[in-house]
Amino acid sequence: MTTMHELNLTVNGEEWQLAVKGAETLLEVLRKHLTLTGAKSNCLEGECGVCAVLVNGRVVNSCILIAAQCNGAQITTVEGLASGETMHALQTAFLNRGAVQCGYCIPGMIMTAAGYLKENPAPTEEEIREGLCGTLCRCTGYTKIVEAVQEAAQTMGAK
Amino acid sequence: MSAPKEFEVVGKRLNRLDGEGKVTGAAVYASDFTLPGMLHGKILRSPHAHARIVRIDTSAARKMPGVRAVVTGASQKLNRFGNFIKDFEVFANERVYHVGQPVAGIAADSEYAAEQALRAIEVEYAELPAVFDVMEALDKAAPLVHPDWQSLKAAPIIVREGNRCSRTVIKVGDVEEGFRNSYRVYEHVFRTSPVHAGYTEPRVAVAQWTASDQATVWCNTQLLFDTQSTLAEIFGIPPSHIRVIVPGIGGGFGGKLRLGMEHYAMALARAAKRPVRVMSSSEEELTAALFRQPATIELKTGVDRDGRILAKEGRIVVDAGACSGSGPLVASTGTMILAGPYRLPNANLEGISVYTNNHPNGSIRAPSGPMPNFATESQMDMIAEDLGLDPLELRLRNILREGDIAVNGQKMTAVGLEECLDKAATAIGWDLRKPGPNRGKGLACGWWMTSRGSSGSYLKLMQDGTLTMMVGVVEMGTGALTGAAQVVAEEMGMKLTDINVVSADSLTTPYDFGSQGSRTMFAVANASREAARDLLEKMRTRAAKALGTDEQALVMRDKAFWSDEKKITFAEIAAQANTAGGGLIAEATYIAPAVEHDASRVQNHFSPAWPSPSFHVHATDLSVDEVLGEVTINRYVVAQDVGYAINPTYLEGQLEGGAVQGVGQALSEEIIIANGHVKNGNLTDYKMPTAMDVPKIEVILVTHPSVAGPYGAKGVGEPPTIQPPAAVANAVAAACGKRIMHLPITAEKILLG
Ligand code: FES
Ligand code: FES
Repeated sequence: MTTMHELNLTVNGEEWQLAVKGAETLLEVLRKHLTLTGAKSNCLEGECGVCAVLVNGRVVNSCILIAAQCNGAQITTVEGLASGETMHALQTAFLNRGAVQCGYCIPGMIMTAAGYLKENPAPTEEEIREGLCGTLCRCTGYTKIVEAVQEAAQTMGAK
Repeated sequence: MSAPKEFEVVGKRLNRLDGEGKVTGAAVYASDFTLPGMLHGKILRSPHAHARIVRIDTSAARKMPGVRAVVTGASQKLNRFGNFIKDFEVFANERVYHVGQPVAGIAADSEYAAEQALRAIEVEYAELPAVFDVMEALDKAAPLVHPDWQSLKAAPIIVREGNRCSRTVIKVGDVEEGFRNSYRVYEHVFRTSPVHAGYTEPRVAVAQWTASDQATVWCNTQLLFDTQSTLAEIFGIPPSHIRVIVPGIGGGFGGKLRLGMEHYAMALARAAKRPVRVMSSSEEELTAALFRQPATIELKTGVDRDGRILAKEGRIVVDAGACSGSGPLVASTGTMILAGPYRLPNANLEGISVYTNNHPNGSIRAPSGPMPNFATESQMDMIAEDLGLDPLELRLRNILREGDIAVNGQKMTAVGLEECLDKAATAIGWDLRKPGPNRGKGLACGWWMTSRGSSGSYLKLMQDGTLTMMVGVVEMGTGALTGAAQVVAEEMGMKLTDINVVSADSLTTPYDFGSQGSRTMFAVANASREAARDLLEKMRTRAAKALGTDEQALVMRDKAFWSDEKKITFAEIAAQANTAGGGLIAEATYIAPAVEHDASRVQNHFSPAWPSPSFHVHATDLSVDEVLGEVTINRYVVAQDVGYAINPTYLEGQLEGGAVQGVGQALSEEIIIANGHVKNGNLTDYKMPTAMDVPKIEVILVTHPSVAGPYGAKGVGEPPTIQPPAAVANAVAAACGKRIMHLPITAEKILLG
């Protein structure tokens, strides 16, 4: 029998008590146990960033993080980024700047940007590109994504 | 000249209709879709490039924990398929002819259980001689990839001979005479490597049989109806018994045109009598997806003293892989790219596709574009250099202009090429082509078509006065359906957000040729616009009756019809129509008009004339590291004749994304294959551009309206991937004097080349 681990998580402000298998990743827990499909699944080896979420405020590729190691952690996924009815500045900026195409990379991109802007609230274009380079987007060529992050940083800084 | 009419909705930078769900995580993609009782499928693939299957034993696998069904070629009778030649099998029967070819499938309670059980399947192979190089494959002595090629059903346009699975020719004038009259004749050979489409959502399908001869498949295909008919062919049931639904798709770029996981999911679901989901792993994507074909391009061009092209002879040899797939089409259309957007008094251009024991390939964004364009546009620069001419000037002396006759005999109209050249050159600062040591600028131009194929649109007026548009295409992310909805809103005097879009369900939405060929917005908007006009007529008739006035006297404003002070709103019209019986619906279909060409110039050509051709120029300024050979792109400019910009924001998005995808093919992307085995099947070693690898893409929209396009729009999506390899190669040559003739342009080639 596979041993199950008890796992306590706070995901988007909600508390969860789960029993997970030792090898299960945070991405599997989010997508399968909690049916939160905002974090996407692609390479499953930490190379594409579509699965990025915040763990205790830090950007993590959830596909390579063993869930059992997250006991007690605060997780934020793209579903939990808005405050109530109001979208996060990044979500608004991505929409208004036309930075969204197929959208599959967008949850990861937005969460990566959200984590990065915490560390560096007023980044240059160069710094944004560096901050986002772990997340692949095949659709946009990054131009509008970088503009959206710049715009969101300004909006957030002005508050 | 009268001032251009101001539009309310088209031409505006409005937010896409499906955007909010995509930024909040609410959008459901095919890979998010699940069903109760669903099993997970995995595929066992051939480790050999060519082998006879001596024996398959699945008995141990069947006993593994969680296994619910095992399928092999012998256990289920499935028909062959293929878009031009029926040379694909779902599961191998007697032979495998490429590495990665599916041999068996397992459905189990979890992906993990299915994967474990795959290892318990015993397959005994007897290896056979294989061929991996197209030129060797063309040799009479080469092993035949399909010894039974003559018995494989093929479309009439396909001309085959052994391993050669198609041949297309364009011939004009007398090339020999042209070469004799030339001041100089240049001969070169160029090569390109296979690349992956690079979509971020792997291919996935969930299949459920709802009766013994009826199934529903939720998947991320670009082509609902092609998927439907191909599955019907494979399973020997009527197409209408297969319902294909795309809940959402994470990119396609041509890589999801043909069957991905649908047939495996269906075969396993039939055997297991339960719904089955099959999702391709990242490794399977990079080793067993439909790649862009590698090609060898031979070019011979003769010019006069002023650089005017007098004759061009060329051949593109496309490696189709072990099944022809899109190879014949790619080779065929490739002949037009060999010609390029130039005046050619004499030409002899050939496109052939060839079987090898490499993995079968597909049709990636502008399928025939980058390979021959890389050759043609590189050679233009080489000619310019030899003649001591500015490469821009050489192009200006040869490009097609309004009213010119192209190589296929087609008369060119709405040609924005010269404007693209001027604007791109100005933007990149062409006057200073070598701004510093190891730094240089390059440009490349090209042309492409807006593919034909039918679209249909159903419209219905909703009781709140908004409108629902139902179409049979998939919104791949391009914004095509937001564009089409803008066109409908404009016609109806509505806001964009008044249009509700329903798409991508083969049972409920009208037939559509699909999301491909730069045609989606173009054709869907044209069909929907026609339907909108019809719907408005019906609404007007009802309004006139209700207001007791003449139809002509009605004025449409603010979602209502007015007669002086009296009005009836769209919502009231809908309510009235609904209660009086029937409601209000309209429908229309569209196919782009055929374009005239000279049939005597072409043989076995799949698209001999180009509807609403588009024109494009890319220019870049880059630096090459002297020691490391690494290329840094300082600036990148795209100028494209889009006809008319229905929504400039998403058009820019297409050009920005396409250019970066093309830069990937130019500099870093390559599926490395040795003896049929992929050597870099992971995203660490297959390098797609990240945000750090490219600069801001500077976009210039040029507008020479197409008569057939909605508001003059032309097809937009594919062209931006065509020019980057050539533009980059030319800039590298300008920067450091190295002319790289084999893609990708790696640091290694620059240092050693
Ligand atoms: S799926 Fe996690 S990094 Fe790719
Ligand atoms: S929007 Fe499609 S991958 Fe980024």
